[in-house]
Amino acid sequence: MTKKIKLKISARLLKKKFRKKSSGLKKQCRFTNNADMARDIDYKNTDLLSKFLTERGKILPSRISGNASKYQRLISREIKKARIMALLPFCATEY
Amino acid sequence: MFRYEILFLAAPEITKDESEGIKNHFSKTIRSHKGDMISFERWGKYKLAYPVNKNEYGVYFLTRFEVDAENKNKLLESLKEAFVFKFNNIVMKNHFDRLDPKGSLEYRRPESLEDNPQDVDAFLKRNEMEGLLKRGPVRKSADRREDKQAESQSVAILEENEDLDVEEDND
Repeated sequence: MTKKIKLKISARLLKKKFRKKSSGLKKQCRFTNNADMARDIDYKNTDLLSKFLTERGKILPSRISGNASKYQRLISREIKKARIMALLPFCATEY
Repeated sequence: MFRYEILFLAAPEITKDESEGIKNHFSKTIRSHKGDMISFERWGKYKLAYPVNKNEYGVYFLTRFEVDAENKNKLLESLKEAFVFKFNNIVMKNHFDRLDPKGSLEYRRPESLEDNPQDVDAFLKRNEMEGLLKRGPVRKSADRREDKQAESQSVAILEENEDLDVEEDND
């Protein structure tokens, strides 16, 4: 008679493991290994900068965009310059 | 050598003479301080992200120049003074920025309304919906005469009614 082998890991633990794996994926910065793209970060290039804004015109956090802190600082600085020159909105009401 | 750029936002009513006056003033002052003017560009008309001085539209200009370390501070001061005292009616905003002297001069800018007009008519033409374009009212002379007659009749009716009202009041 072959013995029935019981699963040692319960369903709850499996779920927990799956959750850890899915949340643990690291986001990659799009500028770190792409020097040409990093050179385009400029307050005049509003097409690129508007990708890092929410619908309301707020700056996206790096936790969501996945930028390295070096480029996040650069982008936020350039967005603030563009806002002063009325190229980008401080607060967008229409969306 | 130091390389600088100025982006300034002018009112939408700016004329060609005024923009050329600004350009001449810049080139004179830069030359007097032993610098080189690299470029003076008109970006075109733009819709602003928020109204500036109650204007919803504006015209952007970009200038670039190089100066020595000795004359740098004096030149920047004189240019900033010009924005405050001389062009304060035309120029609404200005921004000075320092560039890398060995870097390339290429840059990307947003599309202006002159490059890519965003009217309803242009949108319809781009998407091949020319049947929806509004055409101006084409009227024949006979129609106009009829309209005039109808107007004159309505005016006469109104006058009669006013007379009636006055009589009723008297009663």
